[in-house]
Order: sequence, then structure tokens, then C-alpha cells
Amino acid sequence: MKVVIAGAGEVGTHLARMLSNEDHDIVLLDDSHERLSTVSSEVDLMTIIGSAHSFSDLKKTDLAKSDLFIAVTPFEERNVLACAMASYLGVKRTIARINNQEYLQERYRAKLNNMGIHELIYPESLAAKEIVASVKQTATRQLIEFSNGKLLLLGVKVRENAPVLNQTFEDLAIEHQHLLVVAIKRDNETIIPRGSDSIKNGDVVFVVTTPTDQSNVLELMGKTQFDVKNIMFLGGSRIAQKAVEKLGEHYRIKIIESDRERCEEIADRFSHILVINGDGRNLDLLKEEGIEKMDAFVATTGNSETNILGCNLAKTLGVRRTVAEVENLAYMKLADNTGIGSIINKKLIAASYIYRFTLNAEISKVKCLTASEAEVFEFIAKPGAKITSKPIKDLDFPSESKIGGVIRGNMGYIAHGYTQIQEGDKVVVFTLPSGIKKIEKFFK
Amino acid sequence: MNLKIIFKVLGLLLLVEGIAMLLALAVAIIYGENDIFAFLVSSGINLGIGGIITLLTRNAKKDIGKREGFIIVTMVWVVFSLFGSFPYMLSGSIPNFTDAFFETISGFTTTGSSILNDIEALPHGILFWRSISQWLGGMGIIVLSLAILPVFGIGGMQLFIAEVPGPTPDKISPRIKQTAKALWGIYLLFTLVETILLWIGGMSLYDAVCHSFTTMATGGFSTKQASIAYWPSPFIQYVIILFMFLAGTNFTLSYLAIKGKFKNAVKDEEFKYYGVIILGFTGLITIGLLLSSQLHFEQAFRNALFQVVSIVTTTGFATADYLLWKPILMILIFALFFFGGSAGSTGGGIKIMRIVVLAKNGYYELKRLIHPHAIIPVKFNKHSVDTKIVTNVLAFFMLYMVIFFVGTIIFTLIEPDMESSMGAVATSLGNIGPGLGSVGPAENFYHIKPVGKWFLSFLMLLGRLELFTVLVLFSPTFWKQ
Repeated sequence: MKVVIAGAGEVGTHLARMLSNEDHDIVLLDDSHERLSTVSSEVDLMTIIGSAHSFSDLKKTDLAKSDLFIAVTPFEERNVLACAMASYLGVKRTIARINNQEYLQERYRAKLNNMGIHELIYPESLAAKEIVASVKQTATRQLIEFSNGKLLLLGVKVRENAPVLNQTFEDLAIEHQHLLVVAIKRDNETIIPRGSDSIKNGDVVFVVTTPTDQSNVLELMGKTQFDVKNIMFLGGSRIAQKAVEKLGEHYRIKIIESDRERCEEIADRFSHILVINGDGRNLDLLKEEGIEKMDAFVATTGNSETNILGCNLAKTLGVRRTVAEVENLAYMKLADNTGIGSIINKKLIAASYIYRFTLNAEISKVKCLTASEAEVFEFIAKPGAKITSKPIKDLDFPSESKIGGVIRGNMGYIAHGYTQIQEGDKVVVFTLPSGIKKIEKFFK
Repeated sequence: MNLKIIFKVLGLLLLVEGIAMLLALAVAIIYGENDIFAFLVSSGINLGIGGIITLLTRNAKKDIGKREGFIIVTMVWVVFSLFGSFPYMLSGSIPNFTDAFFETISGFTTTGSSILNDIEALPHGILFWRSISQWLGGMGIIVLSLAILPVFGIGGMQLFIAEVPGPTPDKISPRIKQTAKALWGIYLLFTLVETILLWIGGMSLYDAVCHSFTTMATGGFSTKQASIAYWPSPFIQYVIILFMFLAGTNFTLSYLAIKGKFKNAVKDEEFKYYGVIILGFTGLITIGLLLSSQLHFEQAFRNALFQVVSIVTTTGFATADYLLWKPILMILIFALFFFGGSAGSTGGGIKIMRIVVLAKNGYYELKRLIHPHAIIPVKFNKHSVDTKIVTNVLAFFMLYMVIFFVGTIIFTLIEPDMESSMGAVATSLGNIGPGLGSVGPAENFYHIKPVGKWFLSFLMLLGRLELFTVLVLFSPTFWKQ
């Protein structure tokens, strides 16, 4: 597939790198020679110096023969305009990065489509959604809902108090029909478990289950859910503001932000929260503001190091739930090992979201698992697709992938070897990157 | 250092060379001459050793870092020249190893300097191998491997930059593999068209193929001792002029032109200067020839144009011996030794783009003296040239001239004749072919002492890989962890 990406910022470069590694042809457009030359020495792609909203520069990218145009410059209006122009120049599909909730409303969708803007992506909003989910779901590292919660994927860190420790999956499957372990992250490595494997202390276990059995599963993993009431935000970035907006008024929220003007802006926007102007790295200030009494601590300053350290500090002071925004990819594993509850990476979230448009099969959801290279897909089984031909155990499904569950009509089911997938089913598939191309074929 | 990938690439490329030898073997079989055995054995050696290395290194990691990249590119050219010299030695055509290696590296680097006294006496297969070595070296062995071998990960760009001539090699499509394929595609197409035209013009099919190979590579090996002068036909000479010109043009422009964007191609600044330089020198030399000899206009023009294009593009074919011309004309030709083809062409030398950037920077320096606070960027194709590139070009030019002068000094110790020494060093460094004095277009390099031949071989490699790729291997920082 030929993909043109406008904007070689963080999201743009990450996408370009990922898609180029997936054997897509990438043209990267940006007005900075310097930004482009660093990317082009590391990634196999073509770079063009030019503006995203200039007809003559866009033409140089050979849009008429391209399949996808992604505008991810930092400027919303430029992205929207660029997508409209790209559509005019003949690209098949466009995606614009936006900073404005309003565009996402369903009633404007057709209007935007008419202008040639087919898909919208709002990375800050997606990141805020993840923050909200991890604040509400205190027992899990990650919780992904499929088809509005008909099926759940829970990522849980297992400690020594868990009853499931050292049981093989074969035994586990006989006792508990309602759960399926699709992956384990152990020592920075993601493993797709076989029947003879077992769960060890310190593993992050990814389990597919149905909503009714969720509490059973958590109990089995030795986890208890607790309610969050008091939340402290470190840094009042756009993501933080978005998260505050989504959390609503049921929480007691404090935001610590060092920039005075931004503080005033936030205080003006939200009347139900307390905005503190000060340096979040100042322990006295944090204690004064009662960090020890907090249920959750969310670090969303623009600085990954500050966020990681802030969360660690909160952890030592007894805050049970911590969430850190870590934009530096190299730090993600490090942050994960220090025991921070959830790690948010705007780039990865955005890239996973866009990723589905590059696959041929019909997909309703893509998510990447935090601090692991693995991804989860929700495929829709098309009529006549190979996946519907046989029960799962006879399918010769690639070993780096695993089918977690199936959503048929209004019900979610856990996948077993004898499950036969029917057309129209939504299938939750968990895979390592090397398996993506292989499983795509099963759903065509 | 990922040694495995270095060996893997070398092994695979030996297989490629072995296959190229099979082509020469086919020619040898067609003509039924005594070189069949030589090609059988040498292609066997290549395929055998290449095969073993490939098998042993099949699980090599794909990452090619900067260091591995430079080593691979330099080693590929040395190893290719070593193995490529077997057919000459085994067939007895060039029994001496030094001579055989010199002839082979002169082939692969598309220099075209020869040690052969009597070219026509050699079997057809050997002469075909000579031509095909230039053809492979012209567009580049690495570029070929990028196009056909699936071994390279992201390191491919690294290798591409290290081998393709010019300060800023550009891609013509998003993937390095497609870019390499497109370049080889155009190269193949031009070679084919030229073969047909030369054949129509009266060359035998064999000669037409051999000369197309060496024209498109800007190599300059001929199957005749008298080079192109053997064919007095103006048509053949003009065809060769045209294709030398195309081979010395940036292949990206040819790609644009073929894609229908002819205007964009002609508007290119380097192309304009390339044309102006050729026309200017041709005009001067034509006038000189008209004044100093009995040639009529067309003949004088054709001789001037042929020699100018042949030297600028660093091909090195000859239809006239410029050493017999008046000294002023000879100096004009010698000046051309330092121009070279366009960036991204198969030509050697300093390259027109670098000359233009140097000249502009020199001129702007005068402006900057008067307006010390002015920001005056060097512009090329209406875009400011990054200062890093300007510095790189300045460094390249400085190194090139230093190597030329130091090389001449060293070479005068080996061959005590200043004119020949200057000519031999300049022609080897620029990958041209003929030099001055005792190594002029009507002479050859047979009489040079062995140590001199090895020295020139090294200069050819330096010139083909544009100095930095080879020289970096000699810098201490390269080997520090």
C-alpha cells in the first residue's frame, strides 16, 4: 500500500517507521529539511520537503497513485485543509489529526466526508480515554473492551498471592471455562502461552473474559478492585485537561501545574477541580497538597522522566494507582519495570488507531498492549473468509497469534479449540507483529 | 561489528559475479575459443565459494550499521576485482596477477585504463567479460544487489549512499529496492537501445553489445585497439556521443523524462551546467582544431565533441589522439579531467554539481566580504543547500586535489616522467581511462611498474567510491568502539 504522511513530528515519524517495516511504501512530507534527514537515514522511505497545504508540494508525493493520506502536522486547520486537498488530488482515503472534539460528532461526519476528510484522529482524546479507563479499573494494568464491553481483555500483574500461580493452562482450562490467557509478558518478553505453560510470580497476564466473569477472574489473579475518589494530576497538559473533562464531576481532582497562565486557563475551564500553581517535583508541595491521601496519581507533564519519577514517588508514598505518560519509547520498558500502574503513550495509541486503515481485512478495533510489542485486533469475519471454514483447532493458525474470543450478536464467547467462527462474527485476535500479515489472510 | 552480514553480502555477490561469468561462458561457447575452460573454472570458484559463504551465514542478523556499510561497500569492490581477474589469468590472456587485477579493477571502477597491447588477439569471451565488468560496475554492484537480493533491511540506504556518486543521492521511489530497480531498469533500457542503434550503424552485434555496456557505464573499454576510431562512421560516433552524454546525466532525470516529466528534467540546474560546459569546451576546441589543422568543420566539431564528452563523462573512448593537438587544446582536455559527470550518473570525477556548488560558494564569499552580516545561502535548483553539504563538498574537493598532488609526487618516484604521472594519477582518480604522455589515448598502461599499477588500482577504487567511503576505513575513529 502506498501511504503519504504529512508532518514528520512524533506521531508522523513513528507511523512512518512502523508502516515502512510492514512493507508499505511511505512518502513523508515536511517543511523541515533537518527533521526529514534524520528519519530518512533510519527508515526506508522517500522524503519530500514541502508544505502539507500546498498543491504543488502535495503533487510531488504522487497522491493520485496513493491509497492513504495521513495529515499529522501539529496544526489542526492545516491537517484538515491538507486532507481536503489530497482528496481532490485523487488519494483514496484521508486521515486528519485534530485537536477539537466537535469534529468527532457523528452529525458532522458526512459533511467532513464531502470535503474529502474521511477519518479523524485525536491522539490527546484517545490518550485521555486510556487514562480514564485505568483510573476506573484499579485492579488491572490494562483493560480493553470489545463491542461495547461484550468481551474484555484484562492485563493483570500477578503477585505471589494469586491462586493461579504455577497451574498449567491445560488444568486451568478444565476448571475455568470462562477465561483464556492469550499472552504473558515475562522479563520484557511477550509469550504466547501453550497448554503446558504456567503463570509465574511477576508475570503480566493478558486474559480474555466476559463481563459477568470479570470479578471471578480478578479474584483468581489475586486482585481486588478499589474505588478511586481522590486524583492528583501532575501537569495540566492537553491530555490531562481532556482526561479531567471525561472523568466528570464525581471525583475530587487536584492539578499541579508549574505554568501560571495555564493554571488560570484550567481553573477557568473547570470549576470543580483545584488547580495548584507549583513545581510537581517539590516533595513538600506534594505532601502539603495531601499526596498520601490520593487514590490515584496521574503524571502528564511533557517530560517523560518527570512523569516516571513522579509516579515512583507517589507509589512510595502509598498511592495505590499510578498512571504515567511516557512519550519516550526507550523509557517505556524501564517505566513498566518500576511498577507504575499504567503507561500512556500518545504516539503508540495514535499509531495503533491509524494502523487498521492499512490492513485489507475489515477491522473494527486495534489496540497495542502497553510496554509490549503485541497488538490486539477485532476482526470482522467476512463471508467466505478462510477463518470461517473450520473449527479453530484445525485452522493451522500462526503460532505467534491467538484467537481470544468471538462476539456473535449480543453475546461474547471465549474461544475454544472446537469453536467454529461464522460469518459476521467479530473475532478478537491477539498477535505479535510478525503474525499480522499471516492472520490478515484468514479474514480476507 | 556484525561480521556475519558482511560475509553474507560478499558471499551473495560472489554468486552474482559467478552468474555474470556464466554469461561470458556462453559467449565463449558460441565462439568456441580456448577461454571456455577459464570461465568454467572461474565461475565454478565464484559459485562454489559464494555458495559456501552464503550457507554458513544464512542466519545472519539483518542490521547493517554505518561501519558495516562502509566495509561492505569497499570490500565488495576489492573482492569482485580479485575474483574477476581469474578468467584473465586462467585463459592465459593476462598471465600476470598484477596486470590481471589492474585490468579487472579498471573494469569494475569503469576507468577503462588497459594494459593490453593487442586487444584484438584476445578471445571473444574474455573481451565480453571485460565489457560486462564495466557494465556491472557502472550502475554499481551494490545498487544491483539492492535491486535483486532480499538481504537488506534498513541498512540498504546506508549502502546506497556509500556507493552512488554525488553529495546527496536521492530516491526516486519510497523503497530503496524499487529505486535500485528503477535505476537498473533505465540502465538496461538505454543499453538495449544503444545496442540496436550501433548494430544498425554497422557494428557487429557482438561489438555493439560490448560497446553499449562500456558506454552506458562510462567505462571506455573497447574491443578494438584503436577504440572507436576503428569505426569512422559519423553515425556510430554520434550514437556513442549521445549515450555517453546520457550516461553522464543524473539517472533520476532520465527517470523523470521517461515518466513524461521532460520539462522538470531539462530545468535541472546541474543538467544545464553539464550542457553548457560540454558545449563551451567543444566550441573552443572546434575553433582550435579548425585553426590548427586541415579538418573540415563537421570533422573538427565531431572530433572535439567526442573527446570532450568522452572525457567529461569519464568514459575514455577515443576517436582522436588529443596528445597530437596543440598544447592549449591539450590543456583544455586536461582541465576536463577534473569535472566528471553529473551526480547520480555512472560517471566518475568530481561531478558537475560539486563544481557548481564550489564556484557559487566561492563567488558568494566575495559578497560576504562586502556585507559581513548578510545571510547568503548557496542555492541549487532554487533551494538553499544545507551548510553540511557545502562543507562536505569543500572537504571532498580539498581531499581530491590533495590526493591528486600527493599521488603525482608518489607516482613520479615510480615513473620519473611528470606529464605521464599527472595524467596517470588524474585519469585513475577520475575513472577516465586515457591519460597524458606515455599513458595517452594511443598508449596503454602495460609498461608501468607493478607497484605503480597497484597504486593506480587503489586510486581507481578511491575515485569510484568518491573518496570518503574508502578513506573512512583508514581513520582511527572508525575502528574505535
